[in-house]
Amino acid sequence: MALPMPPGLTHAEVAFLAEMEMVTIVPRQRLESIDLLSGQTPPLRPPHRAQLPLWLALLLKKQRRANIVPPPWLHPASLSEIIHRETKENPQTFSPPPPPPAHANPHDPGHARRLADADADTILSPPFQPSCTASAPAGYLPYHWLEVAEALLAHAGDDMAAPAGEVRSLLRDLVEVRAAKMRSSTSVLGGAENGLMELTGVGAIELAESRGFVLGVVDGVRKIGASAEAARREDEEQGSGIHDDGGSDDDMGI
Amino acid sequence: MSYYDIDSILTDAEKIPCTFQLDVPDLGYLDNTPTQTLKTGSRVALPLWLAEMLAIASSSGGLDEQGKSFVTFDLPPALGNDVVQALKADPRAVPLRDQSAHFYGLATHMMDLSEEQELATVLRKTYVTRATEIALHARKVGGVGHHGKSSADEGSNLGVGGAGEEFLRGLDERERRLFRKAHDGAKAGKEWMENVKKH
Repeated sequence: MALPMPPGLTHAEVAFLAEMEMVTIVPRQRLESIDLLSGQTPPLRPPHRAQLPLWLALLLKKQRRANIVPPPWLHPASLSEIIHRETKENPQTFSPPPPPPAHANPHDPGHARRLADADADTILSPPFQPSCTASAPAGYLPYHWLEVAEALLAHAGDDMAAPAGEVRSLLRDLVEVRAAKMRSSTSVLGGAENGLMELTGVGAIELAESRGFVLGVVDGVRKIGASAEAARREDEEQGSGIHDDGGSDDDMGI
Repeated sequence: MSYYDIDSILTDAEKIPCTFQLDVPDLGYLDNTPTQTLKTGSRVALPLWLAEMLAIASSSGGLDEQGKSFVTFDLPPALGNDVVQALKADPRAVPLRDQSAHFYGLATHMMDLSEEQELATVLRKTYVTRATEIALHARKVGGVGHHGKSSADEGSNLGVGGAGEEFLRGLDERERRLFRKAHDGAKAGKEWMENVKKH
């Protein structure tokens, strides 16, 4: 069945997936452990903190049975530092994503090793990395930064480290700066034969927003170069030497 | 280009200047001389699909010894030298729609027919530069993102309005569709942000 929607996730779908992220809460009432598909939630014994998925945390917050602890990267100081990094230090690329969790190695003091190396079952993709809990590193934007930040501001604004208005305006600035970077990231396709866009560190909502545009530009460039590409492949097939550099993507094997 | 693709059909309807290589009786009306034969060397503007067929098909029916083609064609005025030079200077200042509503399609088709290395590079650069400009306008047009500091944009919405409309009027079909996609994305983003509270 042909759906009229363009390919990819919509903003609402991305936000829904982001609700799987774990966040730290401070419960106000006792709650027994609940059996969920992904495992059991920890039993809630106030005032001890616990980690729950975002959707459950928001539910408890609405029922006034818990307070959500904002992740360290959502602090105004952290956001300002990230904005500074995006504008002054790395104006071409996005700021790097948070490093994967690491453990100190008792046999090798001073060196940490990544959890993934030790334990093959550790999942390192975004909703399953603990990047929105209270133990996440500050100064790095995780993959679902915008969705989680907006959800926390909307439903748990009073739990923030600073007034929600201040955090919100910093977030808007960050959104603008990164949107401008996303727009200009396609300009690298205009020059060399094989341009690569540097998109490390991009967030989920930003991808959803610019997917149509970026794919359109890439497709357009492909169409413009299609005849030159066909001629080049013909030449290669006939075995005649060409002066064209080619690059590494000609291994389709004709 | 595919057979049923509307853009392909419209692109192929663009006229390009052709020179006839032989006398054709009874076609004189094409050159404003009805009831006379069309002489060799007369230049007529023919649609691309016809010019292509005539140029590539050689007269192998035995009438001509070497099988030379019926017509030879040149680049249409939309892809002429002054346009290419203007694009090299500043791609964003050239209203492509005035040259041809299917500028890129036409250029791509001409490049299929004849080797045009310089045109390919110029066109690629043009497309990418204008794409960035298109994305900028797509974000502005919806009134999106004018909260807070717009450090990367050129100023207020009002200041860019006049020049922006000029630019948007000069977009060809492919660029219009790109603008549509960029604008849809920006609009969806804005709607989502406003509706976060409701979830």
